[in-house]
Amino acid sequence: MAKPEIAAEGRQQARTRLPGLWQALPWAVIVAAFIAVPAAGSAYAVQLATDILVASALAYGWNLISGFTGYLSFGQVAFYGIGAYATALLVSNTPVPWYAAVCIGGLLATLLAVILGPILLRVRGILFALGMLGLGRILMVLFSDWDYAGGGNGMTLQAVLDPTAIYIGAGLLAAASFAINLWFARSGFGLDAMGIREDEAAAAAVGVPTTRVKVIAFALSAVLAGLAGGLVAWNRSYIDPPSMFDPTIDLQTVVFVLFGGMGTVWGPFIGALILTIAGEQLLVALPNLELALYGLLVIVIVRALPGGLVSLANRWGWLMRPIVLAPRQLPAGEPPPPRAAPGRLGSAEPPAPVLAVDGLGVRFGGLVAVDGVSFAIAPGETIAIIGANGAGKTTLFNAITGFVPASGGEIRLHGRPVTRLPSHRRAQLGMARTFQIPRLMRPMTVWENVLAAARHGGQAHRAVAHAVWVVRTVGLAEMWLVPVGRLTPGQQRLLEFARVLALNPDLVLLDEVMAGMTKDEQEDVRAVIRRLGGYGVGAVAMVEHVIPAIADLADRMVVLDFGRKIAEDTPDRVLHDPEVIRAYLGEPPP
Amino acid sequence: MRPITIAPALRRMAAAALPALVALLAGTTFAPAAAPPIVIGGTVSQTGAFAEDADFQVKGMQLAIAEANAHGGWLGRKLEFKVYDDKSNAGTAVRLYTRLITEDHVDLLVGPYSSGITQAVAPLINKYKMATVEPGASMPGIYVKGNEWNFQGTASSLTYLDELLPIAKKGGAKTVAVLALKSAFTLACSQARIDQAKQLGMKVVYQSSYSLPSPDFAAIGLAIKSAHPDVVIGCTYFPDAVGIAKALHDQGFAPKYFGETVGTVEPAFGTALGSLANGIVGNTSWWPNFKTANSPAIVARYKAMFHTEPDYHAITGYASIQVLGAAVQGAKSLDQAKLRNWLLHHTVPTVLGTYKSDPNGLSTGFGQYLVQWQGGALKLITPAKFAQAKLLVPYPGK
Amino acid sequence: MLLALQLLCDGVLLGGTYVLIAQSLNLIFGVMGVVNLAHGSFIVLAGLFTVWFAAHAAINPLLAIPIAFVVLFGVGALLQPVLLEPLMGLGAQQAELLSLMLTFGLDYVLIELGLQVFGSSYVSLPYLQSTWSVAGLTISKSLLVGSAFAAALALLLSFWLNHTGFGKTLLAASQSEVGAVSIGINVRLVRLVAFAIGVGLAGAAGVLLILVEPMAAETADDFTILGFVLIALGGLGDYRGVAIASVLLGIAQSAVGFAIGGDAESVLPFVLLILFMALWPQRFRRAA
Repeated sequence: MAKPEIAAEGRQQARTRLPGLWQALPWAVIVAAFIAVPAAGSAYAVQLATDILVASALAYGWNLISGFTGYLSFGQVAFYGIGAYATALLVSNTPVPWYAAVCIGGLLATLLAVILGPILLRVRGILFALGMLGLGRILMVLFSDWDYAGGGNGMTLQAVLDPTAIYIGAGLLAAASFAINLWFARSGFGLDAMGIREDEAAAAAVGVPTTRVKVIAFALSAVLAGLAGGLVAWNRSYIDPPSMFDPTIDLQTVVFVLFGGMGTVWGPFIGALILTIAGEQLLVALPNLELALYGLLVIVIVRALPGGLVSLANRWGWLMRPIVLAPRQLPAGEPPPPRAAPGRLGSAEPPAPVLAVDGLGVRFGGLVAVDGVSFAIAPGETIAIIGANGAGKTTLFNAITGFVPASGGEIRLHGRPVTRLPSHRRAQLGMARTFQIPRLMRPMTVWENVLAAARHGGQAHRAVAHAVWVVRTVGLAEMWLVPVGRLTPGQQRLLEFARVLALNPDLVLLDEVMAGMTKDEQEDVRAVIRRLGGYGVGAVAMVEHVIPAIADLADRMVVLDFGRKIAEDTPDRVLHDPEVIRAYLGEPPP
Repeated sequence: MRPITIAPALRRMAAAALPALVALLAGTTFAPAAAPPIVIGGTVSQTGAFAEDADFQVKGMQLAIAEANAHGGWLGRKLEFKVYDDKSNAGTAVRLYTRLITEDHVDLLVGPYSSGITQAVAPLINKYKMATVEPGASMPGIYVKGNEWNFQGTASSLTYLDELLPIAKKGGAKTVAVLALKSAFTLACSQARIDQAKQLGMKVVYQSSYSLPSPDFAAIGLAIKSAHPDVVIGCTYFPDAVGIAKALHDQGFAPKYFGETVGTVEPAFGTALGSLANGIVGNTSWWPNFKTANSPAIVARYKAMFHTEPDYHAITGYASIQVLGAAVQGAKSLDQAKLRNWLLHHTVPTVLGTYKSDPNGLSTGFGQYLVQWQGGALKLITPAKFAQAKLLVPYPGK
Repeated sequence: MLLALQLLCDGVLLGGTYVLIAQSLNLIFGVMGVVNLAHGSFIVLAGLFTVWFAAHAAINPLLAIPIAFVVLFGVGALLQPVLLEPLMGLGAQQAELLSLMLTFGLDYVLIELGLQVFGSSYVSLPYLQSTWSVAGLTISKSLLVGSAFAAALALLLSFWLNHTGFGKTLLAASQSEVGAVSIGINVRLVRLVAFAIGVGLAGAAGVLLILVEPMAAETADDFTILGFVLIALGGLGDYRGVAIASVLLGIAQSAVGFAIGGDAESVLPFVLLILFMALWPQRFRRAA
């Protein structure tokens, strides 16, 4: 049975790398083959190779938005078709040369993605997939009604027979699409995208501007599909809506990437290469069963080899995923000290509280989860928020950090109103949080989890150095290249703290960090919390059930009951307040 | 020695047909073939949307090739037929025609099935200058200046149901509704009928086009009912032909004259609609009782080889090979330029009627005739000399 | 006025046929969290079977409903433990992704099966081909029967879920697996039965749809898409919402088809989906 780790293995890596010569070998083979096809092959071989290159570009485009970013698109044909039609219309009606027309088509596809991305990328999973599928359908109908573009009759281009030029164009496109995928796999931006794939809310919590990253990934995937469509239009000299907006092109693309390995750099090309050639043979040998065999292949891959062929190669140390921005070794020596808080906001006047919550309310439909709660945390202070189950503690945290919208009231960070800001902006401004159950990028390494946060802690130019410091400081240096899935629960909790520190926060919000911990583990966490101030953290707020464990950490306690604040005072006085005791009936305080 | 070479999936059919072939071959004496065979290449939609009709077309071609071989082939050389499955997909067809031309180096080409796929491969055929007879494309838009290597091997869609409107006008009809599926061929057909109606002084009160799959035709049915036309013409394939008939019925509307193009001649049309089919007019370019060049004998041989009745697609496929053979033997060459010249300037009597081309390759010789469902069976209405029944008016619609 | 009433009537009947497509999928997707992309192929296989059955058995095609239900229930009960159960417990996001991929493959296999067994052509079934005229409205009997049966079966499903022991168990298991296990529910069995019933009802929907419209193996995905769009519009796992969405979509399509044309009608579900995404994203976020 497939465990999550197995899916993760497909994207997993080891530090060991093949010697340089071996790494160069596939490149030598690819370049030689690319030159050999037009030199020695027939026009048919050139056509087949062109088809493979175009299919890889489509597959790489899909891999960006679906493989790396985690949004499954079933509508890349929308961009493919736009590219094709733009090319056809430009070539037919203007003196623009074909390659320029293809590029303009790619740009138009990108434009569509940038306009629609913010809408379509709001929802994930099947709904996004359906939205994309629908987009393809809608465009097909629009084009079949547009008489200037031939309508249902399609368009015939007066093209010249120049297969080699198209082949070179397809080669350039495939190379560019490979390069963009390589950039995704190795850059901080790609790390942001993968963070969204693994857990979008957690990515926002460490400051990843999710919408921007998604739209950029979407736009890049669209430009590749658009260019591919333009090339195909010029290559075929005839296009019509059903063949340009054909959903089976998407299905084929999905199969190619799955077979090769989703979210990998080589998977899309390997899938397109093998399956296009195999498909060509099947076409002759088993014309009636090709679709069924594709289907079976998908089932077998998902069940037996979710990482595709690349994960198989990984078992022998080939085609490993590079670890994002990892130094060869974790640098030793004293790391630079963290920036002193609260410099980021530039507020010179000290008396403003780090966090001020004023009349905050949260509603879910008719249910009032948080009802006019106000409190403030002064610099250097640690407060605890307690209350029975369902009192609204976590909802309060979610509202403060922007994970649920506030229905009323105001939140200020160092005097600056942040109530309307998205959660990633609040994180970037120095508000860091943990989750009840650690939400980490499980298939990725400790290093990448920390780095992802460090990139958005206001110190982008020295994120790597800061991440090194954090990894050493929290004591995860020994396992900095271990994937999260292999850490113990305690280590994962530690890593959550590491991500918080990596953000370089002024305010830290801890959501039930000690739940389910042994006494020893609790003691470790208490030690970390005590040290937070020394790392530049201006203030701490904790939601906690395990009251004895925090009573001595907190300067003040805020008590919630049914969404309302019923008490706020020192721990000693709060825990003897009769109303608090009443609210805790059935769960008596110590 | 193999008389024909075909894609493996067709091999089963060929195996089934072997006894028939042996019988054919046994009755003929032929000189030992010294020269290599002439290879004819093409694609057929063995899978996908067009599989059903395309299958008839390729069988017709296979029969014609087998018969030609039984008579010694062309120019003293045997014929070999190389067919691939284009999966009803234009992109696949383009790649396969490239393969046939540049990798397999076939001597001659025949066209695929359907106007859309033919239109997709037409530029390629032009680029490589292969004079090609195309039995599957009735759409006239392909046969224009700039596509001069493509020759239409079937009746142009301008002729589909072209006899219905004049008959209806004589019968007093004044208003027309025209529906079309959004495909190259059906749109050309609907434009031709709309133009014809205007020429005849009839009023087009409703026109609409749709794509497949259309979830239901009820709304279109209601719109037609509101327009209340005397004549409804659907430029359709099979599923929408059925869907529109059902929708009109569901709205309780029966026009006086009701014609639909493709789909009506398939036996499944009657099965799908039952009594509702009666009175619906369709068209065909060929009917088994036609006395065109050898028609009954060809039908008999087709049945012997494939154990099914041929339909007009099969006959069209057969006729294309007849035309190609006439060109090769007439031009006494496989030179494409000579073949093209021959095809432009000669007529060929075929089982489908007389092949004749305009200067752009558009067929002007083949015609379309009317058929009508009556009492659960199709009856030929025109041409008068072969007619099996008189046109039933009005369409009962129940 | 009469025209508007006729459009409304057509739309309601059309929506009625949608209800069962959407609700059978809702049981699988909305309640069990399995993205069943093969749903439409089950529907189409049942429809194609019905035509074969009606031709060979020469009895009322409505009798194919129980047969299709039982056969496809069995198919679902065989497929679920082998293909889908192993994905459960991987976390909702992972399970959704992998079930989507798996059923995507299954869809291809089933469509090919349909092509091999029943051929690629569109088929249709002449059944109850007559109309009623009520107060100037024309109502097709086959559409009425198809729509009414579909709506009745969908209602039965919702009654079963909300008012029987097993149905309630199923709803409970879908809300909290841990909770269900802790009160002694056999969650594996519940999931198996839910999937099998969903697939079985897809079969019933197929039988009813073939009475109303022509079908071919390749149209399978259109039913799948329609089902998902209806669930998206009506609300995940929300039976009343999906039923209302089905009928409203039917009415809207009927009106748009009349006023604009068949193409606008067929893309209307997608246009609505994207409009909803733009205007009321909260509605979907809960579902996602």
